[in-house]
Amino acid sequence: MKTKIPDFVKTNQFGLLLLVIVFILLFTFTTDGFSSRFNIYALSRVVAIDIMIGLAMMVVILTGGLNLSLGALGVSAAMFGGWCMESMGIPISISIVLILLFGSFLGWINGYVTVKTGVHSFIVTLATMSIYFGFMTLLTEAEAFRKLPETFTDFGSMKLFNKYISPLLLLSIFTCFVLFYLFKFTDIGRKLIAAGANPDAAELSGISVNRMFIYCHMLSGFLAAVAGIMLTSRIGAAIPSMAGHLGFDWLLPAFLAPVIGGTLLSGGKVTVFGTMLGAVLVTLINNGLYLIDVGEFWVRFFLGLILLFAVLLDRAREYFTSKNSIVS
Amino acid sequence: MGGKMKIISSLLITFFVIMSTSVKADSSGTKVALVPGGPHPYFAAWEQAGLDAVKDFGLGKADYRVPAEWDLSQQTELIESLVGQGYNAVLVFPGDAVGTNKILGELDDAGIPTAALAGCVEQPTQAKFCFGTDTGHSAYLGTKELIKAMGGKGKIAHFTGFLVDPNTTLRINAVEQAVAEAGGGVEIIQVIADIDAYEPADEKINAFMAAQGAEVDGIVTTAWVPAVVAAQALTNMGDKRIKMVGIDHDEVVLKAIKDGFVHGTMLQNPYGQGYIGSYVMDKVRQGCEFKSDAPWKSTAQTDQFIDSGTVFVDISDVDTYVMAMRGISLEILETFDSTYLSC
Amino acid sequence: MNNLLKKDWFGLGLVIILGSILISFFKPAFISPFNLYVLMLSVSLMLVVAMSQMIIIAIGQMNLSVGAIGGLVAISFTGLMEVYDVSVLPAMFIGLGIGIVCGFINGYITVKTGISAFIITLATLYIFKGMNLGITEAQPFYEIPESVKYFGNAKIFGPIPYLIIIPVIITFLMWVLMNRTSLGRYMLAYGNNVQSSELIGISSTKIVVYAHIISGLLAAIGGMLVVCRLQLGTPNIGDSWLLPSFAAPVIGGAILAGGKVDVIATAFGVILVAIISQTLVIFKIDPFFVQIFLGFMILIAVFINRYREYREDRRNKVFSNE
Repeated sequence: MKTKIPDFVKTNQFGLLLLVIVFILLFTFTTDGFSSRFNIYALSRVVAIDIMIGLAMMVVILTGGLNLSLGALGVSAAMFGGWCMESMGIPISISIVLILLFGSFLGWINGYVTVKTGVHSFIVTLATMSIYFGFMTLLTEAEAFRKLPETFTDFGSMKLFNKYISPLLLLSIFTCFVLFYLFKFTDIGRKLIAAGANPDAAELSGISVNRMFIYCHMLSGFLAAVAGIMLTSRIGAAIPSMAGHLGFDWLLPAFLAPVIGGTLLSGGKVTVFGTMLGAVLVTLINNGLYLIDVGEFWVRFFLGLILLFAVLLDRAREYFTSKNSIVS
Repeated sequence: MGGKMKIISSLLITFFVIMSTSVKADSSGTKVALVPGGPHPYFAAWEQAGLDAVKDFGLGKADYRVPAEWDLSQQTELIESLVGQGYNAVLVFPGDAVGTNKILGELDDAGIPTAALAGCVEQPTQAKFCFGTDTGHSAYLGTKELIKAMGGKGKIAHFTGFLVDPNTTLRINAVEQAVAEAGGGVEIIQVIADIDAYEPADEKINAFMAAQGAEVDGIVTTAWVPAVVAAQALTNMGDKRIKMVGIDHDEVVLKAIKDGFVHGTMLQNPYGQGYIGSYVMDKVRQGCEFKSDAPWKSTAQTDQFIDSGTVFVDISDVDTYVMAMRGISLEILETFDSTYLSC
Repeated sequence: MNNLLKKDWFGLGLVIILGSILISFFKPAFISPFNLYVLMLSVSLMLVVAMSQMIIIAIGQMNLSVGAIGGLVAISFTGLMEVYDVSVLPAMFIGLGIGIVCGFINGYITVKTGISAFIITLATLYIFKGMNLGITEAQPFYEIPESVKYFGNAKIFGPIPYLIIIPVIITFLMWVLMNRTSLGRYMLAYGNNVQSSELIGISSTKIVVYAHIISGLLAAIGGMLVVCRLQLGTPNIGDSWLLPSFAAPVIGGAILAGGKVDVIATAFGVILVAIISQTLVIFKIDPFFVQIFLGFMILIAVFINRYREYREDRRNKVFSNE
């Protein structure tokens, strides 16, 4: 298979970029709070975490699977980090390495069980979701870690670029570039995509599909742990409820960003920057819904509609591009 | 639509914003947001309280704004967007006793005063004060009433709410304290926490009744949902032997008191919290300071606490509790300026 | 006898009986009439929810919006009675109607777009739940007619609650549907292999839409049963359904790829889950363990299924020369 160099204007990313710009202009002129420094800074932090969550889901969708345990995993990793830093007094840098290892390990469990049982990762991660979350609440007794080192929590409230942008956003964008490099230019990245795109063919060409799938789950756990660290530093405490019950509150952004970004649910295709733009778009719309005052209780309703609209749009795009390719 | 017009009008708006902030704030410029921790019937009274405060004190706005989920991140995002919408004072039920401090600090940096309502944040904090039920004290008094109704001896079960709620630990401790003070006659046989949703609460409370219903003599509930479900369970069983003291004013609990299945309930004062809270935020925005010798109460979390009042209600005064609560609110309001503020 | 051993429900039934004997040996309160009554109540409610998910599993899909439909119907049902003074029966039929419409939306969009039901029902989960919150603003409805309360609370005789009647009938009807009707066979065929069932000449649109409609209808019934039980219409009905709705069919041996479900085993799965939840309370074990337990049980069930498949594969290899 040759890698096609897409005409950028025709891609999903370009359409997304346009939408993002349109929404920014719309909100800037129709609401008076949108372009305020406070709001932009707040947005940059939310976007940063949503991008990370989206990426964590994206790398599992690559395998044609899903990771329902994402939120539970991220929170478990964050709570583990809180325990390392607060109770054990382990230095920040070492703690972060431990958190990332821990996240990858939980991801490995997901991947290993999925591969060994051959059951869809949905059901495996549904089970591990409640196991991870259950153990986390049990071990922490639902107590938060609130006395984290200040250098750690200060990072989450640091303000850059004339106080407009959070460093968290830079971290997320950096991660996007790293992943882009991984999938585009490294051998292992290409193997991961090949395994997701056509497992049988990949297996025949000597790629261990099972191992690739486990890698994807581990990467997902790693990224979810990063998101957990970022959220902890933003809130200034590691709190069991920070992703909602069972970590369920992460699921909507987790699916919205990659799906809007053009990642195929059947697997085998990733769009790192699409996911990033997807996360930006979702956060913008979410913020805009609050600002134009649709009523807090209706926000979820509209987010659901937007997800539906996004997947339908994606479907239409696929349909037209496939028609085009037949014509040519 | 002309782009120029938009730019001009946005410039004009910016101009007015600058103007209005430089001029000394007056009441009609005060826009208070009342933000609970998430959707929960307890806070519903804040909505009317805010509207009444606008009417009675001439505030610009005092709106009840609810995060769609019971979740700190959602609450933070909502509060952040409220600033964008022009609210300039925020009363918040903390999604987390420490975690909420971060956003409160940022609001303070942006020149927006905040206070904790119905539940406190832990110090150090930028919140101006905490105005709420002394939850520990309320649970303590409720347990005392229960022990009295049980004749000073027996076995107690305690049902309470979210473990992540800053108040839950205080309540568990307070119940234990009241039991300890009763001497050896009273014993807590089970604490069931984290049942602040109806379906799990129904399942667990009924399973408890099935297993221990014959042993237990008294039930104290210190959160809204468990109180409703336990009152319902006792009503359904037709059991008047087990004494129960509930919390709050849900219709189910009040009816069970009238019917004799529940001994009484500890009322809190959400309306007064919203009403007086909005009033005080306006005063603060107009430059009032808290007196250095204000008679603050201290709790485990903060030493700038004001009690919004709590009343025990049983079958004798269950019909007139609204008046009782209003009386407490008015009393706090009347003396508030002279007691706490220097303007 | 050998046939019996092969059935999914047989092993489960054995586990339930032995487990109950063991538990009641340690805690006699377990077989007290009141405990059996409480047990039957929670089984009644979860039975309907599990069936609602099971029918979607049968066609090889999943329905995340089961709880959201249940919640929306629950508050519509009670809201109609409280705010608009609709009497019980019409309100009930409107509730069922809402469930059918929600299910239809799920099924129709899924089959027409070919997008995975997971994503569609995730979107509709937020839409339905969002409507629920938008309508109620998180406030419960209280004014439930006495007849509804009575139905949720009264016993037929002994410890048997009225509430169990409907779930038992539903379980029976589901059994008939899956084992004795052509629609049920088509659904399983569709779940097994989309291609071959299309070759027979039945429209896959119909199969998927019907399955989702039944799922929506059952979720609606579940929501209204919870109203009867709780005696109030609170917006968070259905929030906690997701995990148990999958747990029971999976423990009952349904294969998530579709094409195989066992109604009786699913029902036994529900009973097993209910017994475990209750036992944990009786033994004063931390409620968080319920979560962990459910998770592990799903994983164990998955592994057992995998093992059986593996054994069957080997046997087939021995006997066939293909």
